[in-house]
Amino acid sequence: MHPEIALLNDFLLVGALLFGVGLIGFVSRRNMIVMFLSAEIMLQGVSLSLAAWGRFHNDFGGQTLVLLIIAVAACEAAVALALVLTLFHRRGSLDIAAWHFLREANQPPFRDAPLPEEPAQRREPWPRLPTAGVRPETFGEENDYRPRV
Amino acid sequence: MLDPRHILILAVLLGAVGLWLMLPRGGARGRAVGTVLGIVALGLWFSQSHGLGQWTADGMFFVLAAIAVVAAVGTVTSRNPVYCAIWFGLSLLGAAGLLLLVGAQFLAVATVLVYAGAILVMFLFVLMVAQPEGKASCDRMSWEAGISAAAGIAMVGVLSVAIGGVLAPSCPAMPPIVPPTQEELAAGVLDPHQVARLGGELFGRRLIAVEIAGTLLLAALVGAAVIVNQFSGRRHDGQSREQ
Repeated sequence: MHPEIALLNDFLLVGALLFGVGLIGFVSRRNMIVMFLSAEIMLQGVSLSLAAWGRFHNDFGGQTLVLLIIAVAACEAAVALALVLTLFHRRGSLDIAAWHFLREANQPPFRDAPLPEEPAQRREPWPRLPTAGVRPETFGEENDYRPRV
Repeated sequence: MLDPRHILILAVLLGAVGLWLMLPRGGARGRAVGTVLGIVALGLWFSQSHGLGQWTADGMFFVLAAIAVVAAVGTVTSRNPVYCAIWFGLSLLGAAGLLLLVGAQFLAVATVLVYAGAILVMFLFVLMVAQPEGKASCDRMSWEAGISAAAGIAMVGVLSVAIGGVLAPSCPAMPPIVPPTQEELAAGVLDPHQVARLGGELFGRRLIAVEIAGTLLLAALVGAAVIVNQFSGRRHDGQSREQ
């Protein structure tokens, strides 16, 4: 087989594989961030195919299209992240299933299957330190504002 | 069984089962088996690709393609979204290397700059804002892992069979394919002043497309600002609207 045809064939195969893997991720994952990462993988697959076709036709049109894809991906990331942040503020979770009430009227509600407990990871015990210094002064309100401190 | 299409179908079936086992499915086990099946499927699938003529080019291609595809599978199947983002960065580096291999130097650099430099960091930033504790319970489950793996891999199989059929030299439905010679490529896409040629093409023949891309970026910027501003005053108030 001619090496240029072989190159085109191989690149189209890899592009198809990347597109398929991204499609699976977009359909099956539930975290919104991971869904958008999967969409970017699909765009990568298409970019590879376009660049290979551009070389095969000895034309810069393929590379121009890939540049347009990069611009569209940047737009998509900006709008998608704004949307994800907004949805997260409304629900407090990145889970796309938190929005299942947007389904059609004749569909049953989504029920999450009960998850088995994750096996607890072994933690290294903290070293015991001798008591030293004085306890810092705290204010009552500060604990309300900073619950994790 | 030595027919190339049979090998391809076998690879597709193995890949579907492997991906189904690798996707997060609650407490179900079998990730190691799924990984082994996926690697076997990838090897079978790559065994159907054709050599590029030189073993150096072949080696580069296989290493880069394996990095890109394995990292993409890692992105899709990781439980922890931070690991997903890091696998995605690795997949981008593999894809950028493939772009270099095909002769698109500017695109390779632009991919690394724009995706890995800007988009990936932005994803990680949002992840750190929204879910700083790592894994959530929704990352341990997926929608219909079996059906989606089967559908996606079936699409890959159909595409690769179609690619092989169209590019095979004996396909009767197509006019004979005339690949470019090395001299034509050196005067065209593989010009030593390739980036200058690409810039001339962009701002000459494709000027309208560049303008449209710029307008699109501006519109996305305004849109993102509007979306964030419109809802920034309300927090967690959507609970009462459900049902």
